[in-house]
Amino acid sequence: MHLTDDQLNEYLDNESSERAQIEAHLASCDECAARLSALQTLFAEIESLPELELTHDIAARLITARSLSVKLPPSLTLTVTLQAISALIAILIAAPYASGLLTHYSPDLSVSSWMNIMIGLQSNFVMWFQSFQTFRLPEIPTEVLTLPKELTPEMIAIGVFSIFFVWVTGNWWLLRKRPNSPV
Amino acid sequence: MTVSTDRDLIVRARRGERDAFGELVTRYQTGVFNVCYRLLHERGEAEDLAQETFMRAYDRLHTFDLEREFGPWIRRVAANLCLNHLESQKVTAPLDEERDADESPRPEKQVEVQERSEQIRKALLSLPLHYRVIVELRHYQDLSYDEIATELNIPLSDVKSHLFRARKLLAEKLHAPD
Repeated sequence: MHLTDDQLNEYLDNESSERAQIEAHLASCDECAARLSALQTLFAEIESLPELELTHDIAARLITARSLSVKLPPSLTLTVTLQAISALIAILIAAPYASGLLTHYSPDLSVSSWMNIMIGLQSNFVMWFQSFQTFRLPEIPTEVLTLPKELTPEMIAIGVFSIFFVWVTGNWWLLRKRPNSPV
Repeated sequence: MTVSTDRDLIVRARRGERDAFGELVTRYQTGVFNVCYRLLHERGEAEDLAQETFMRAYDRLHTFDLEREFGPWIRRVAANLCLNHLESQKVTAPLDEERDADESPRPEKQVEVQERSEQIRKALLSLPLHYRVIVELRHYQDLSYDEIATELNIPLSDVKSHLFRARKLLAEKLHAPD
């Protein structure tokens, strides 16, 4: 009983689970040993192909290509946008308080012009926020839906928490370890 | 001057440093080109596919696991890209004269070796597409049967049968009496 082609292939590929039996058979069977030798020669021939050189430098061509630009996936783009909006809102809210602290501890320190701009922006933001507080939703002719008609401190707290949640989740999304991604 | 590791270059490339990515391309472009050339046997097409491989890799750098080795990964990307390309082109085994002959300089001593290389390339090219890709992954990229099955998303039994059949066909081509 001779070894099958599959057994010889798996043996040479180091994928065989019966190596000892195969080697014992090869030691006593010239025909199978010759078939193994022929297969080894074929492997050597296949793997003897020399590497060819490129005729031009792909690297040089690529780094000057306009198409080569950093592309974030849509999910990351959304995350970064949400974070940027959150950061802008936080800056608008915090700017006048930071200015107040500066003038409180250093009364002689003049507030720079950009700070005045930020205060102006914040004033507009507060006005917008106040008008938003008194904004009333249109009446819905049903008693089942009971939507709140004005913003309450609880709702504002939920809003702030949502921004915080987006911020933390976004950072987790950006920094998490990613699984392998076959192309 | 210390040589940057692949990992360093990937991290820098992710920050948008084109030169860092260029260095990665320089390191692996010959290997990637040879993967494409073995599968396509047409120099211009192989160079285009090699370039496309690096562009795809650049787009996916942010998802690349830094614990993996870049070289084997990019060569597998190239093999898959060539497979998809050939499948989309519905390329059947072409006539020998339609493909490249090795045009590198041929000093007398090398003629025999180059002719044998050309025979091997043509024998590889005559294989059915999936056989050719499996031979590439097994013999030139040193993947195990399991890894090939995962890479090509085919059953392990298919990997074995295709690989063994491919070798049989190659042996018939290469060792046939003239």
